[in-house]
Amino acid sequence: MASQLLHAGFSAGLTFVLGASVLGVELRSQGVNTIVAVEGPMTWLWLGVAVVIVFFHQLFRPRIEALRRRTWGGSRFSLPPLLRNHAQRRLMIALVIGALLLFPFLAQRSAIDLATLTLIYVMLGLGLNVVVGLAGLLDLGYVGFYAVGAYTYALLNNYLGFSFWEALPLAGAVTALFGYLLGFPVLRLRGDYLAIVTLGFGEIIRILLNNWTELTGGPNGISRIPKPTLFNLEFSRRAEEGNIPFHEFFGIPYDPSYKVMYLYILALLLTLATVYVIYRLMRMPIGRAWEALREDDIACRSLGLNPTGIKLSAFTIGASFAGFAGAFFAARQGFISPESFTFIESAIVLAIVVLGGMGSQLGVILAAIAMTLLPEIAREFNEYRMLLFGLIMVMMMVWRPQGLLPLKRPQMELKRG
Amino acid sequence: MDELLYFLQQTINGLTIGSTYALIAIGYTMVYGIIGMINFAHGEIYMIGTYIAFIVITGLAMMGIDNTLFLIVAALLVSMIVASAHGFAVERVAYRPVRGSKRLIALISAIGMSIFLQNYMRLAQGSRDKAIPNLLPGGWEFGGKGFVVNLSYMQVIIFVVTLLSMGALALFISRSRLGRACRACSQDRGMANLLGINTDLVISMTFVIGAALAAVAGLLLGMYYGVVNPYIGFLAGLKAFTAAVLGGIGSIPGAMLGGLILGIAEALTGGYLSSEYKDVVAFGLLILILLFRPWGILGKPEVEKI
Amino acid sequence: MKNMMRKSLMVLAVGAAVTSLTAQAEITIGLAGPVTGPLAQYGDMQFTGAEMAIERINEQGGVNGEQLKGVKYDDACDPKQAVAVANQIVNDGVQFVVGHLCSSATQPASDIYAEEGILMITAASTSPAITEAGYETVFRTIGLDTMQGPVAGQYIAEQAKPENMAIIHDKQQYGEGIATGVRDTVEEAGIDVVLFEGITAGDKDFSSLISKLKRENVDFVYYGGYHPELGLLLRQSRELGFDAQFMGPEGVGNPDISKIAGEASEGLLVTLPQAFETDPDNADLVKAFEAKNQDPSGPFVMPAYTAVYLMAEGMKETESTDPYEVADYLHENTFDTPIGEVKYDEKGDLEEFNFVVYTWHADGTKTEAE
Repeated sequence: MASQLLHAGFSAGLTFVLGASVLGVELRSQGVNTIVAVEGPMTWLWLGVAVVIVFFHQLFRPRIEALRRRTWGGSRFSLPPLLRNHAQRRLMIALVIGALLLFPFLAQRSAIDLATLTLIYVMLGLGLNVVVGLAGLLDLGYVGFYAVGAYTYALLNNYLGFSFWEALPLAGAVTALFGYLLGFPVLRLRGDYLAIVTLGFGEIIRILLNNWTELTGGPNGISRIPKPTLFNLEFSRRAEEGNIPFHEFFGIPYDPSYKVMYLYILALLLTLATVYVIYRLMRMPIGRAWEALREDDIACRSLGLNPTGIKLSAFTIGASFAGFAGAFFAARQGFISPESFTFIESAIVLAIVVLGGMGSQLGVILAAIAMTLLPEIAREFNEYRMLLFGLIMVMMMVWRPQGLLPLKRPQMELKRG
Repeated sequence: MDELLYFLQQTINGLTIGSTYALIAIGYTMVYGIIGMINFAHGEIYMIGTYIAFIVITGLAMMGIDNTLFLIVAALLVSMIVASAHGFAVERVAYRPVRGSKRLIALISAIGMSIFLQNYMRLAQGSRDKAIPNLLPGGWEFGGKGFVVNLSYMQVIIFVVTLLSMGALALFISRSRLGRACRACSQDRGMANLLGINTDLVISMTFVIGAALAAVAGLLLGMYYGVVNPYIGFLAGLKAFTAAVLGGIGSIPGAMLGGLILGIAEALTGGYLSSEYKDVVAFGLLILILLFRPWGILGKPEVEKI
Repeated sequence: MKNMMRKSLMVLAVGAAVTSLTAQAEITIGLAGPVTGPLAQYGDMQFTGAEMAIERINEQGGVNGEQLKGVKYDDACDPKQAVAVANQIVNDGVQFVVGHLCSSATQPASDIYAEEGILMITAASTSPAITEAGYETVFRTIGLDTMQGPVAGQYIAEQAKPENMAIIHDKQQYGEGIATGVRDTVEEAGIDVVLFEGITAGDKDFSSLISKLKRENVDFVYYGGYHPELGLLLRQSRELGFDAQFMGPEGVGNPDISKIAGEASEGLLVTLPQAFETDPDNADLVKAFEAKNQDPSGPFVMPAYTAVYLMAEGMKETESTDPYEVADYLHENTFDTPIGEVKYDEKGDLEEFNFVVYTWHADGTKTEAE
């Protein structure tokens, strides 16, 4: 009991030091001077409450844990299987896709736009999922590829007059090339180094885009990037020369929301394509190899797989999806500048992958929806968004590293005894 | 002659920047050397240390105490204690539960902690820059009629303190009882445990010492630059980590060497090329070194154990 | 009982009629800017000014018998969210917008407003790129970066007359834009710029740059950017024995710079918009702000007030709420406003916006430079 008491006292003291030093006092600016302000009694009261809670929690921790084990037993939380067989599954997928296609005709313009933005994050999450979730390579510079994709379309359009459809495959290809060129030397490194090198790479891309004013417009960015067309039909009030506006072609009155709806449907199709391609890849030998490599590097090598080549394929493919997402982002935005491609963006996409469950496509999709919609629904929450992202990443790793919806494979386990 | 003096000045600038990186890099290198994980949140601990030092210095100054030495010593002690408490808590909350899992999981947890701490400080202390006046102004000047080389007291202090911390830490690791236990842990944690070393305690102490060093860096750099905001930890941590990898992560002299190389490279880029490309050169250097010597300049190639 | 029921139903009906009446008799003005995020304090300045204007116009009976209503939209100064906000505004049927704040948010949003025929007046975005497209319905009530540069450049050429001048900027839209403007003006006046270089915003160590300036014997430094970097630059220059004259744009004219740089900020030259709150014509308005315990001196307060005022004037005179008609009226006429005489060129930029050169003091105050 004495050691328990000591431990509890220590924990309470630690809580007090942590809280009092950062939350209890504040540096404030007063004109040209800096002063230290002590927070009001309410803050100290809360701090006191926290200290007391920590003290008693630590004191009775063995008992609390025993109690919890007894009430919940050993069972861990997992989602019940929703769909039992293939037919049900197919039907469900068809229903969801149908609903998603119908959505723009029923919803308001701003909701459609928000859904488009969400789909961009779904694409990014799925792409990064290949690299982090399947191949187990921590890429902290994913935003660099996103930027390459966006700038590829913007620059091709600006200088060579490429349309969205001409530029889209090129954006994917250029980004894949970047992924290949960076991955080639770097993927021989161990995982931890990879994280920092990719982080540095993401920063270098941003700095170069910012510094190369002659080509990229530097911090001013590139503006007036045209929206995609539908077989050369434009969705604007007045079309550029040679093109016909969509509404004139069909003889219907002009409605600006057609453009937003079209963007949404495009995003949806791109996302569905992404989902499908990755789904197929996961079931191909290459996809199996990614996961095998993630689980055991040495075993793979002993089976004759070339780890660098396999990692490189994951890195390149993951990058190309960021390229597609980037090109689409540039089209939706109409204006891009380097400040849209900071490290925070990488962190958000990583948080999506982590929350969704590394390797699981459905999990990543749901996480992307949650992460983009939440700040829109609760505006006040915006201030705490990054704080919660960080917290989620830690808590998920500690409690549920496999994510909310982990990837499930048909498997058999040998039971001993 | 002037060209030579100018080169000397840029080298001095580089050595100072490099020392600041090295001072933070020791923390990374020590934790990595012992438990083999990157403590991404180390830069944020440094930032917290700077805040605490500023609070103590400003608070005491408001009470009318103007003895510089006393201010510095008090700020150093308090910020070391508070930063250590943070280091200890971070290890307990975010790292210990995932210690047995794969590298990727520990790494993501660390990045999450870093993002959390940065935003926690932003909400607690505001995102605007906070400043303190220069406590130790002045320095030496020497040189010819043309270009005058300046060397401020703070620059010298930073360099000396970094060297002293390195020496003290190296001595501690090689001579003290706890240091021996640290080395034992880094070689084989399971075996160390069997031999009666409390490995949990050793790892906690590693984080505490690393955080205390981050607080020293926080105070010194806080005094040198005079400003703090919640974002300084990220960039400083990134650069320090780069320095640690450059020199060979896990090696204490390597951290010093890596820091100095990085600092001088940045200063010379700024001095002869353009400040715009400082960061590009720094990260480019890292990628280049890792290509040809993935274990860093002074590091040892790691043999994979099965 | 039945009677009572009927009565209450009637009350309900009347109530509904009244609310629908007031709903009709309202003109919504969208106030777009950062409500949250690191730049929220600047957003507040804009909202304060616009809301004051709406309140005062409503007190005088509104516009054409209709009341104005301000609705805030939060873009957090993020280009991505600004597009979402613009779509939301279109969705809500709002036809008049005061905003956005940050140039990088205003630019993509203005494309949408122009396309949808929404009248937008920004009270804070100074980037020339916004009006470059020449949109019919896009205006601003603040000067451009390209206006501030020449003011500073002329002062340098006529008053300071430096021998070796350097221009430093922070590689951001605002800073680099102004720095380029200053360079063009002084080079036209025959002053040689020996160094034109960018730094990284958020950087802390400028020692190698300062040594470089020292080697070039620079005696005058123009800095395009914000106060945190210039504060450190000043502080470290003092430390390294480099004592040139420094000058910066309005982004550095903030008491925080003296907090960071201390004594080294004494004598710094700053170009700032004329302090509208000291204009005797605005005394009445300043009193109204002070009565509500609001600070009228923020750089975007009066421009935001003016933006709403211009919209109301246009609607009154054209007796319509059609954005195109109002826009035409704004293009064609001259207005007497709290920020002085407003006249628009064909791009929607102010033809004139006064910047004044001030000398900054270490205690955070400023005096007009001679």
